[in-house]
Amino acid sequence: MNENDTVLLERCQAGDKEAFGPIVRKYAGRASGTACLLLGCPHEAGDASQEAFVRAWRNIRRFDTRSPFYPWYSAILRNVCKSRLRRRARRHTVTLTEGHRDPSNDSDPVMLAERNERKDRLWHAVMRLSAPFREIILMKHFQDMSYKEIAAALDIPIGTVMSRLHSARQALRETLAGEGS
Amino acid sequence: MSCHEFDRMASAYLDGELADEERRRFEEHLAACDACTRELAELKRLTEDLNMMRFKEPGDEELQRYWSGVYNRLERSIGWILLSVGVILTLCYGAFRIIEEMIRDPAISGVLKVGVCALIAGLVVLFVSLLRERLVVRKVDRYSREVER
Repeated sequence: MNENDTVLLERCQAGDKEAFGPIVRKYAGRASGTACLLLGCPHEAGDASQEAFVRAWRNIRRFDTRSPFYPWYSAILRNVCKSRLRRRARRHTVTLTEGHRDPSNDSDPVMLAERNERKDRLWHAVMRLSAPFREIILMKHFQDMSYKEIAAALDIPIGTVMSRLHSARQALRETLAGEGS
Repeated sequence: MSCHEFDRMASAYLDGELADEERRRFEEHLAACDACTRELAELKRLTEDLNMMRFKEPGDEELQRYWSGVYNRLERSIGWILLSVGVILTLCYGAFRIIEEMIRDPAISGVLKVGVCALIAGLVVLFVSLLRERLVVRKVDRYSREVER
């Protein structure tokens, strides 16, 4: 973690809310994108990632300023998104293995940098994957995590990481092939 | 190595996650099987596309709005806590005074007194039970462990 972050987070731990602003601004884009992939819903992403920042603030005194902030925040965000998915499942509007995005809805924001038609199509295909597949694609391709790190984060064996990631990619290929790409 | 086994390992190969011996066997099969070579090329193209994807960074205005949203929630959470404490204290005091007045009033029948007391006792038991459940859930919730990382 860079020195600036450490100073800001130490000020946060001392109760300085203003010091939390630059931290939130720095990670907001990544946080919203992550929430979008975990929830499969761009419209809920901002709200969920903001809720996670609020939880992070409430627990900021338990954060070790010698470690990087984002992985710690990311674990909180993941739990916020999981809770929301569970609530959705209880309301029977969506299950844990089903996204609820309507791919035909063009008003959905695509949260990608340097967009082009090919990337947009791929993004929409990713959003149509099931929640566990979206999560593993997020960890591997957006968070650049190794299999070992993914296995530790999800508490699953490395062999399962290998097979889940491969299945996710195969599902993506099928979706893209189905669209005639 | 069979084509099925090859397929199972293809993603790990592209991600550089195979052990030396597995990679050697994988590459041996690759050199001998055209179908698997084509399959791997397609998967590689997809993997490269996925690796190119990055989240966009919001603009200054959007970031300001985002931070305002977080800041407002932080402030409101203190407000909600104070409001909840106030409501609980006021209700407890009100309930206490009502019970006190009722017990002293001889015009109110004993059955009604018992009924109101049972009602209030029931509410207290439910409140304590919910509170206990929340605390127990929090104790076993992975979230509470993860924030300690």
